Amino acid sequence: MGEVMTGAYLGESAIWVEVLSRHGDVVSRQRFTSTPIAIGRAYDNDVVVDDPHVAAHHLRIVRSDEGVLTAEDLGSRNGLYLGRGRDKRSEVALDGDHDLSIGATMLRVRTASFAVPEEQLVIRGLRFWPAAITCIAGVFLLAALDLWLSDTTEPKAIRYFTPLLIIAGIVVVWTTGWSVITRVFRGHARFGLHFLIVAAGMLAFSFYDQAAEMGAFAFSWTALTTTSYLIAWILLGAVVFAHLLAINPSRKPIKLGIAILIAAAGISMQTLRQGEFRSNYGQPVVLSRLEPPALRLVSPQHDAAFFVDASKLRASLDKERTEEPAGGDVFSEDSDD
Amino acid sequence: MKERRFDRTARRVLAFALGIATFAAHAQTGTASPSPVPPPEEPTPSSPPPAVPPPEATVPAAPPVSAAAESIYAAARPGLLQIRTLVEAAGRQSSIGSGFLVTADGLAVTNYHVVSQYVLEPKTYRLEYARPDGGQGKLKLLQIDVANDLAIVRLEGTDLPHLSFDAAALADAAPRGERLYAMGNPLDLGFTIVEGTYNGFVEKSYNPRVHFTGAINPGMSGGPAVTQAGKVAGINVAKRLDGELVSFLVPASKAAALLARAKTEPALDPARSREEIDRQLVAWQGDFYHALGEQGFRPAALGPYEAPESSAPWFNCWARTNADQTPKPRAQLDSTSCSSQSSLFIAEDIETGRADVMHAYVKSVDLNPFQFAAFVSQYYGAGSMFRPWTRKRLTQPECHEDFIERADGATYPVLRAVWCARAYRDFAGIYDVAITTVTQDRDREALVSRLSMQGVSYDNALTLAQRFVGEVAWAK
Repeated sequence: MGEVMTGAYLGESAIWVEVLSRHGDVVSRQRFTSTPIAIGRAYDNDVVVDDPHVAAHHLRIVRSDEGVLTAEDLGSRNGLYLGRGRDKRSEVALDGDHDLSIGATMLRVRTASFAVPEEQLVIRGLRFWPAAITCIAGVFLLAALDLWLSDTTEPKAIRYFTPLLIIAGIVVVWTTGWSVITRVFRGHARFGLHFLIVAAGMLAFSFYDQAAEMGAFAFSWTALTTTSYLIAWILLGAVVFAHLLAINPSRKPIKLGIAILIAAAGISMQTLRQGEFRSNYGQPVVLSRLEPPALRLVSPQHDAAFFVDASKLRASLDKERTEEPAGGDVFSEDSDD
Repeated sequence: MKERRFDRTARRVLAFALGIATFAAHAQTGTASPSPVPPPEEPTPSSPPPAVPPPEATVPAAPPVSAAAESIYAAARPGLLQIRTLVEAAGRQSSIGSGFLVTADGLAVTNYHVVSQYVLEPKTYRLEYARPDGGQGKLKLLQIDVANDLAIVRLEGTDLPHLSFDAAALADAAPRGERLYAMGNPLDLGFTIVEGTYNGFVEKSYNPRVHFTGAINPGMSGGPAVTQAGKVAGINVAKRLDGELVSFLVPASKAAALLARAKTEPALDPARSREEIDRQLVAWQGDFYHALGEQGFRPAALGPYEAPESSAPWFNCWARTNADQTPKPRAQLDSTSCSSQSSLFIAEDIETGRADVMHAYVKSVDLNPFQFAAFVSQYYGAGSMFRPWTRKRLTQPECHEDFIERADGATYPVLRAVWCARAYRDFAGIYDVAITTVTQDRDREALVSRLSMQGVSYDNALTLAQRFVGEVAWAK
C-alpha cells in the first residue's frame, strides 16, 4: 500500500503514536514504520488503550496513496473527534499539530519529519531564594518601621512580634499551597519561585501603602489612602497570575482572566462594603494619619479659599437630604426650601 | 397596659444610654472632670424610669406636704391636665406628660417635648387629655415654641377652671428662695404636688431656665409650678440625672408670650408642623450664633499658642490633662473643652442647638516627629462630629480638608484643617458642622482646636468657623 509513495513521504518515514494524559503530557509513545496501525482496547491492536470508553477496535491509521496520514474511525460507539472538538468525524487527516480524541483518551500522531520548536535556553545558576529573602526582609522592615512610627504608647515587643509573625505565617502557607499545586501539575514544587512571587508582591504593596499614606498628607490628597485597597487587589491579581504562570506558561489568556476576575471581585466587594459601612455609621472620610509638618509638599490654601471649598459641600448635603428625606412622614417633602 | 409600660421603660433606658454616650464622646475630646458633665439637661419625657416600684409603695413616699400646699393643691387641681400621646392605630398611650388650663375656654400650656411625637408624626399619633375629675377628651395643638420647650393646646369646653400667671414671674423678678409647688402626674401614678424652692435663672443656660430645687419626675413635664398664692411661676421641664432635686422650669413669661401668640395667630397646621419647627430652628440659630459672634472670642494661652475661647457666658468649660496617667504618657496633653448650655430637644433622636469649643495642646515627651503626628491624629478627624448619628435623621457627613495659611504668616502658623458637615433630613437650612485645625509649625508640639456647631445655618457656620480659625495664633 505505502510502496508507491512520492516526494517527501518517500522512504523510511517513521510514525509515532503518542497517548496523552488529560493535561497533554505524553503517557506512552510507540514507533511504527508501516501502516495501517490499529488502535483500540483489544490486545490484537498495535496500540492498546486501557480506556473503558474506547472500543475494542476503535481506530485505524492509514497512509493514502498521496502519502497523507489519515485516522479512520472503525465504527465505535463513542466515535472520533479532533482535539476537544464536538463534531464526530469518521476520518481525520493528520498533521501532527492536532490531537485526536477517542473515548476519554487523547492521542497524537506525528511522523519523523515533524518539525519540533527550537530548544529553550537553560538559565544556569538562576536562584530565586536570595531575591525572595531580600524582598521578604524588605516587607518585614517596612512593617516594623510602620509599627514603630505609629507607636505612641509604651513600647512593647509583642506589638511588633505579633504582626510580623502573622505576615510570616501568611507567606509560608501561601507559598506552600502554590508549591503543592505546582508539584502536582508539573512534577516539581518551584518553592523558591513562588516564594519570590509572593514576597515581591508584598514588598510592592508595603512600598505603595507607605508612599500613599505619606503622599496623602504631603499632597493633601486623602483619596490616596482611601483607595489603596484598589492597588492591593490589583497586586493580588498580578501575584496570582504570576503563580499560575509559574505552574506552567500555557493558556495565558485564561490565567490573565482569572487574575482580573480576582482583582475585580475583590475591588467590587470592598467598594460595596465601604459604601455600606459609610451609609450605616455616618463616619466622615478624612485623613486617618497625620505626618510630621516637614513632609508637607503642597503649599497651603489661603483660609478664605479653604472656606470657599467648604461652602461647596453644601450642595451635595442638600442633594443627599432631598434624595433620602426623613422617613415615616409624608409631610417632610413639602418643605419649600 | 403592663406591656406598654415595659416598652416605654426600654425606651427610657435607651435615652439614658444615649446621654452616657454623649458624655463618653466628651470625655474623649477632653471634657472629663471630677464631677462628670451630664447629658445636657435631660428632658423628662414622661416615661417611667427603669425600675418602677409598685404604685402602692410610691404614694406614701411623696414628700411631706405642708398645710399651705394642701390648700394650693386643692385650688389648682381642677386646672391640671394629664396630656397623653396615643398611637393612633392602637389607641394606647405612647407617652404621657402634664399640662394646665390657662383660659376658661380651654387653652392649656404644656411642654413641646410632651407633644413632640404628635408634632413630628401627626398621622401616627394623636393627643388626648385626662382631668383630675376623670374627664377625658381630644386635644388640638395650637402653637409650639421649640426653643423654650412649650406648646399651647386646646380642649373643648367653657367656664373651665384655670390657673393664671404670677406677675413677678412674668417680669422675671421672682425672689430667690421663694417656695414653689410643682404639680403634675408623675409616672402615670396620679396628680401630685411637690414642694420646692425657686433658685433664680440657671446662670449658664442660653435658653432661660428657672432652677427649681424639688423633685420633678417623668410625667410631670408641662405641669405648672405655682407660688403660694397659686399663681404660675414656671412650667416643669427637666431635671439633672446626676444631681439630687436639681430641676428646671420654663419661665412663666415665655408661656405667657406663646399663649398671646396662640390667641391671635391661626393654629398650627399639623401637616406643616415640621416646617414650623424648621422655621423656629433657623430663627433660633440665627439669634444664637449671632449672639455667639457678638460675644466674640478671647485668646487663651496654651503652650506657645493662643486659642480662641468663646466669651459667651453660657458655656461650661472643663480642663483635662493626661499627666497623671500610668504608664507615663509619651506626649503630654492638656485640653480645655467648652460646651454651650443651649441644647434643644426636638425628638428622642434629634437633639440640636449646642456649640462646643475644644483645644488640646500636645507636646511630645519622647515621641519622634512621626510618632507625635500619629498621636495628634487621634484628635484630628474621625471623632470630629457630634454623636450619635442616625441615618433616619442625618445625612452622611461630607468633609473638606487641606493646609491653611493666613495672611500674616508671622503671627499665624500654618494649619491642617478639616471641615465636616452634615444636614438634617427633617429640616432644611440647618446643619451640624465641625472644623478641626492642627498647627503645622513644629514637629514635637501642636495645638488641636475644634469648633463644633449643631443646628447651624451653613452661612453662620462658615462665618463663625472662619473667625475661629483666624484666631488660632502664636502667643504674643
